[in-house]
Amino acid sequence: MPAITVDELTKRFGQTVALEALSFQVEDGEVFGFLGPNGAGKSTTINVLLDFVRPTSGSANVLGMDAQRQSREIRRRTGVLPEGVELYDRLTARQHLEFVIDSKDAADDPEALLERVGLADAIDRKAGGYSKGMAQRLMLAMALVGEPDLLILDEPSTGLDPNGAREMREIVREENERGATVFFSSHIMEQVETVCDRVGILRDGQMVAVDSVEGLRSSVDGGTTLQVTVDRIDDDALQAVRSLPDVTDATVESQAPPTVVVTVDGSKTAVLSVLEDRGIEIRDFETTEASLDDVFQSYTTDTETEVHAQ
Amino acid sequence: MSAETGAGTDATDTGSSPASSIDTESVRAVAKKDFQDAVRSWLFWGLSAFFFTLMAALAGFLSWANPDNLTTISFIALVSQVGKLIIPLIALLLGWKAIAGEREAGSIKILLSLPHSRKDVLLGKLLGRTAVLSLSLLIGFLIAMVAVVFAVSEFSFPAYIAFLAMTIVYGLAYMSIAVSLSSLTRSTTMAGAAMFGVFVLFYIVWNSIRTALGLLMQRGYIEGVSYTTTNFAGQQIETTRLPDWALFIDMIDPGNAYQNTVTLFSSLSSDRIGTSFNEAAFPDGLPFFLQDWFSLLILLFWIVVPLAVALYRFDRVDI
Repeated sequence: MPAITVDELTKRFGQTVALEALSFQVEDGEVFGFLGPNGAGKSTTINVLLDFVRPTSGSANVLGMDAQRQSREIRRRTGVLPEGVELYDRLTARQHLEFVIDSKDAADDPEALLERVGLADAIDRKAGGYSKGMAQRLMLAMALVGEPDLLILDEPSTGLDPNGAREMREIVREENERGATVFFSSHIMEQVETVCDRVGILRDGQMVAVDSVEGLRSSVDGGTTLQVTVDRIDDDALQAVRSLPDVTDATVESQAPPTVVVTVDGSKTAVLSVLEDRGIEIRDFETTEASLDDVFQSYTTDTETEVHAQ
Repeated sequence: MSAETGAGTDATDTGSSPASSIDTESVRAVAKKDFQDAVRSWLFWGLSAFFFTLMAALAGFLSWANPDNLTTISFIALVSQVGKLIIPLIALLLGWKAIAGEREAGSIKILLSLPHSRKDVLLGKLLGRTAVLSLSLLIGFLIAMVAVVFAVSEFSFPAYIAFLAMTIVYGLAYMSIAVSLSSLTRSTTMAGAAMFGVFVLFYIVWNSIRTALGLLMQRGYIEGVSYTTTNFAGQQIETTRLPDWALFIDMIDPGNAYQNTVTLFSSLSSDRIGTSFNEAAFPDGLPFFLQDWFSLLILLFWIVVPLAVALYRFDRVDI
């Protein structure tokens, strides 16, 4: 049974369409990265999953339950780290956690939880004096209360330094090993690539790609860029390179020395041999793997790069 | 619908929405958290000190001005006039950000990502804030009691406590108005405007209504009720009062309702204060809706109705 099923979900706020017939599934026990630029509809999706907003049409199902009608039971089994939220200034970390433990009827120890997120020394300090990173750590600890079956983390790295972000990912991994499904939203690819089993990319309220990190990498043309420095180049040779099945693009980048930039999906040697067959001398070549950031960019911005539909 | 029935209700769950049910444990948890939070504010301690000072100062002043026949009930009757004006301001001040403030700060998402329904949150907030107001009244009243005991000629503890209880009910009515309006607005700016609207309505508009009705009667647009009474010089005079319905409109104001209810517990003391209406004006007896016990119902109305509207409405909005 999938942990989350979103089916044809549409949400409009007046004239603005936040989500348009969004459908995706998060499998039980996986870490799912929910990626998209700001304003793509990530928070709206999470808000629907938690029944903060009601869908215009379509449905959402969490842990096998209807997100609207059985929301209370869903939230009993879900740990949430909401985004853009202020803590209660006058309450300490201990009091925040006691409230969550009380609310979920859990038996956690506030100290142990804060130990895990590295905030144990601030346990009796009021949250009003916390830095953004400390607040984020406390909210992560609050999400962990009661060993939830599902963790919904909305931009959990906000305000964390690289070290804090790494610790947070470590906790995500631990929770996943315990058996929790993790739904992790972010607008930064590199934060999800190391922990997520699968990544869904949201753009303008629609899922434009759902795949494993590897799958996404190879789904984008420009998976590998080959840069070949040659002694000379002509249109004929360029056409021959372009006609190769694995090549999606080939351009001449500079003339002194002539450099051909080839976007290739499969064999790089085929490109080199086509050039050599035409008597062109290859002086140097270099391959660049597309970074995941490029992958993300290609899905979320209007560039010439074409995307293979999944 | 309680926590225990949450699991495995898929089969029985037909149409009704357990997500919008009320769970007493949740209400308690939210109220406790809200109380913990608010009780640490300067506002709470300021209020406690304020109530104490107010009560003690009034007791001191009244005993100085009226040293011989200041009874508990006459003290209460005077303090209730001050309370009538001050309690609403304090309740609005304590309650206006209850929900709108959390929505603005986003922390409402902390509350609602836990297994609490929106109704739980609303009720918990109302109870938490009312507890804060009640505790500050309790502290203020009890400390000031020392001064009151010395000031009045015959102290009645039951009447004093009943007065405190009634003041808490009055505070609850205004807190219900404040928290309910706070839940109907998206921002604290709107909530603040709504509180100001309530203030204008009950402090200015409602008082003007009675004056306006009186004027309309004088001009002959409303038919008044004539009756004979004895004036202070012992002469029989013919006079006119507003019709029953017009007097009822005046009674709907929570403040007037609160003042009328104060007479209810005059039986707790050896002393009595008159009811709000001159008996001679009602030769056929006071209609039930103008009697003092009905004012208690009016106060309950002001607790229940805003809350009912808010419970209905807050369940249906996007956060």
